[in-house]
Amino acid sequence: MSAQVDRTDASAGLPAHPERATMEGRNKVLGFWLLLGAETVMFACFFGTYLALRGSSMDGPTTQELYQIPMVALSTVILLTSSLTSVIGVHGMHQNNYKKMMFWFGVTVLLGLSFLGLEIYEFVEYVHEGHTFTGSAFGSAFYTLLGTHGAHVLFGVTWITTLMIQARKRGLNLDMAPKFYLASLYWHFVDVVWVFIFTVVYLMGKVS
Amino acid sequence: MEANTQPTQAQTGKQDSGLKYVASFALMILLTAVAFAAVAMNIVPQGWVIPLILVLAAVQVFLQLFTFMHLDLKKDAVTVSFMVTGLFIGVVCAVAVAILV
Repeated sequence: MSAQVDRTDASAGLPAHPERATMEGRNKVLGFWLLLGAETVMFACFFGTYLALRGSSMDGPTTQELYQIPMVALSTVILLTSSLTSVIGVHGMHQNNYKKMMFWFGVTVLLGLSFLGLEIYEFVEYVHEGHTFTGSAFGSAFYTLLGTHGAHVLFGVTWITTLMIQARKRGLNLDMAPKFYLASLYWHFVDVVWVFIFTVVYLMGKVS
Repeated sequence: MEANTQPTQAQTGKQDSGLKYVASFALMILLTAVAFAAVAMNIVPQGWVIPLILVLAAVQVFLQLFTFMHLDLKKDAVTVSFMVTGLFIGVVCAVAVAILV
């Protein structure tokens, strides 16, 4: 009953928490949380900037005129659901169920892509209404915050897709498990940021 | 360091049913619906809407961190300290920028 796990065990089935079974995996998880702590500070600064500048819309449209609550609600449901599907993917990994893991991460990618599609549509609409990056301080702060979040979604989609291609070649082992675990952590973080975006940007924009 | 290794207990994996994720997801959807309803309908007194939706967002973030992201206050003291430090510095910066600019 040794706690030691080496890679030859992988064929006999992964341990209960394969992402923490190796020193490399544990270090990756720890390091990734440090990155998420730093990302929290970055996004917080964008939120602060947005709150300071959201009233400075020059002659362009205001938050009240721009935001469409039904579309924000749809984006929110999509992203929240994708957070659930990615955790089910990790759950599949913990059960050593390769097919379940791949299926649910695949669903996560599709939901992420539909979120991006909606966001692009939204930005195109806003530009037609005169809300542009260089049009006002409000525009700059808005697109910086939303654009950085959207870039994170795009990166997450690309990351999970490439991981799935790699897993098809290599299978699920102690080397791949931490990668999928980190990708799901990243995806949840992106969702956490969106929770604040729909609250602080969209809902508060409709209230005041 | 090896003492920290998770033993290969298959049973811990089996106890971990997917149900808690679905329950937590349902709660997140409910909190979101309440936040949207508070803004879209006139059910909450004017001054209370913003504090209410901010609290709902904070609750939802903690749900994400401790259920979906598997944070554990006792087991992952270092990772929790990374996030707490990040949140603390972040909130200070955000509030300062929002007030001072």
